[in-house]
Amino acid sequence: MSISYLLVLIALAALGGAIWALFWAIDSGQYDDLESQGEVPLEEEDPPEKAAKG
Amino acid sequence: MNAEALHARWSPDAGEHEHVVFLVEGMHCANCARSIERAIGALPGVDSVKVNGATARAAVDWRGRGGTRLGQILEAVRRAGFTPVPLAGQTATAEFQRERRTALKRVGLASLGMMQAMMYLTALYGTTDIDASMAQLMRIAGMIIVTPVLFYSGAPYLSGAWRDLTSRRLGMDVPVAIALLLAWIPSVWNTLRGAGEVYFDSVGMFIFFLSAGRYVEMNLRHRTLGSGEALARSLPAEVTRLAPDGTRTKVGVASLAPGDIFVVPKGGVVAVDAELAPQTAPGSRASLDESLITGESAAVARAHGEPIRSGSVNLGAPLFLAATAAVADSTLASMVRLLERAQAQRPRMALAADRIASWFVLAILLLAAVTFIAWWPIDPARAFAALLAVLVVTCPCALSLATPVAIAAATSRLTRLGVLVTRADAIERLAHADTVVYDKTGTLTAGAATITEVKLLSDLPRARVLAIAATLEKQSAHPLAAAFREYESDLQALAVREIDGAGIEGTVDGVHWRLGRRDFATDLPDPSVNDAGLFLGSGSGLAARILVGTPLRPEAREAIDALRGLGLRVMIASGDSREAVAQVAGALAIDDAHARLDPAAKIALVRELEARGGRVFVVGDGINDGPVLASAHVSCAMGQGSAIAQAASDLLLIHENLAVLPQAISSARAALRVVRQNLGWALFYNLAAVPLAALGLVPPWLAALGMSLSSLGVVLNARRLARTGGNR
Repeated sequence: MSISYLLVLIALAALGGAIWALFWAIDSGQYDDLESQGEVPLEEEDPPEKAAKG
Repeated sequence: MNAEALHARWSPDAGEHEHVVFLVEGMHCANCARSIERAIGALPGVDSVKVNGATARAAVDWRGRGGTRLGQILEAVRRAGFTPVPLAGQTATAEFQRERRTALKRVGLASLGMMQAMMYLTALYGTTDIDASMAQLMRIAGMIIVTPVLFYSGAPYLSGAWRDLTSRRLGMDVPVAIALLLAWIPSVWNTLRGAGEVYFDSVGMFIFFLSAGRYVEMNLRHRTLGSGEALARSLPAEVTRLAPDGTRTKVGVASLAPGDIFVVPKGGVVAVDAELAPQTAPGSRASLDESLITGESAAVARAHGEPIRSGSVNLGAPLFLAATAAVADSTLASMVRLLERAQAQRPRMALAADRIASWFVLAILLLAAVTFIAWWPIDPARAFAALLAVLVVTCPCALSLATPVAIAAATSRLTRLGVLVTRADAIERLAHADTVVYDKTGTLTAGAATITEVKLLSDLPRARVLAIAATLEKQSAHPLAAAFREYESDLQALAVREIDGAGIEGTVDGVHWRLGRRDFATDLPDPSVNDAGLFLGSGSGLAARILVGTPLRPEAREAIDALRGLGLRVMIASGDSREAVAQVAGALAIDDAHARLDPAAKIALVRELEARGGRVFVVGDGINDGPVLASAHVSCAMGQGSAIAQAASDLLLIHENLAVLPQAISSARAALRVVRQNLGWALFYNLAAVPLAALGLVPPWLAALGMSLSSLGVVLNARRLARTGGNR
């Protein structure tokens, strides 16, 4: 039975890891713009001067 | 905080009357809005405060000489427990991003926690043969998972309720926070003593649904504000000014005065209304994207002398522009001001819901108490669950969201159609309109004058008539002269003289011709009825009668038909001549056309229609027609330059495309339909759910689900409007 204590502990640690990963992803801007990135492949190739400006 | 600098930038008349708009963070309900209004209103010299809960904006008008400074107003907001955020484009966007990230973290934590807690705690449901130590392990795991969810994801509700209670009012957060704490505290107690019921899974689920609903609502709000924000953000803070000696200096936009020359790089935004400067090669054109202002994405070309609106993006080579207005009077700043004014006002319909919400919360708390007291003698264990269910299931979120979200969504949709909503009530009023009055023929016609009819009155051929007329008019600066340009020939006119209000005369091929009013052309007083148009005559009598008109806008016919299709009556009330009005009315099959009306007569006509129960929608060109527009139930002006700044109308048609008006009306009607659906749904849901919860038939987790779905339904229903829908 004592194995389930360990399993619960491991599960809680995994949950903590998942929450940390989610917060890290949000803070590093992964979810800031969910729309425009999907349109990138549809865009024309940038003319050089525009691309240079960034 | 750079609010003072921001204020200096937006406020054209610092001193006597001051006006400022800012975002308020931490505002979640109508009651918050009212407490901010009270806090600011208590300051000396404040004339009006409007706080809109749905858009999180506060607009304050105050007398600067009364001794109150902007800093004191912001301080009052802070003392009331909220954070004022200046509306500079960049800052506001950063605020939006921060708010979105925090909200997303709250939803994410709640969803992970809810799922995990449920996995552990469902093991306790209905099983009696579970090992006691195992059950205790499950309780402890649930507590460890849900407690951070409550205090991180649930923080807005707890702090909101605390704020409400410390300022002695009843907001939406109060029953929510009471329910959360009433479920959490006994669960912790039961965990610590190792026996009894725990509600950690219900707490996690409730918080998840609440924060998910709030996240969706926040996104909708950001998107609605996005239009105004995009405008404000696009205004560059600095421009490169070109001094007469050719030196370039970076100056703040506010210091740019009319007549100054400034440089706009490729891809740059024009900061103030301007036209091409002499430094630009003659004959060259500026290629501009006006989509920010008009919603129209096709590039436009502007030659010398043509107005370039602020907010246009330069698509071509760097431009030298001469400012024609200061930044505060320019199109972009005026539009931002109007949008902010509309967004800071609370629509009448929302006010009614706000008033109800406070009483509603009180009723819920009483009902919950009664439920608990009634259940206690019957079954103390179920009394507690029933109490929780009543508190959770009746959360008035749906009720208070119903109207603001629909109006916000419709505003966003109209903005994208190119119709700027300048007053909060405009959408409701537009939906009720049943008569459209075009205030001027100019709203239905556009472009340069053209020759519409030539009636020959002698044996002189048509081509010869037009050639002579064109030769004479070549020398004229009169607007109608443009109509003759295409008929110009190599004929020469001598001794040309223009007589104001009569016509033009000159000698062509040895004959003295006169072109103009009938009596001028013939030199004879001739009381003929049919005297409209221009007459060409010589000493030997009249040669021709030429009618000049302005062409209809290409979309006019379609727009009028669409308005009729929506069941609206279409009228023209114009100051123009009978001939001109009849021509336009005939082409559009409008029977109700009134000509030669002065402004007072137009107002009288509108009043008469409204006295007979009509709801009149007046469409004007925005030039000197303020009184007529203001007298109507709802009005729309064609948005050009100064018209935007004056804005006597409720709506502005930014890109002058008549075809969007029918769409705007159907969007407004759809918005009103959504408001009714939302209110009906919120009412129905509460009436149905409360008795079930009070009877103990709804377990707390189901109550959380029901309440969240009811608010989510309201928000999603409104979101339909913001999307392409709404113009079925």
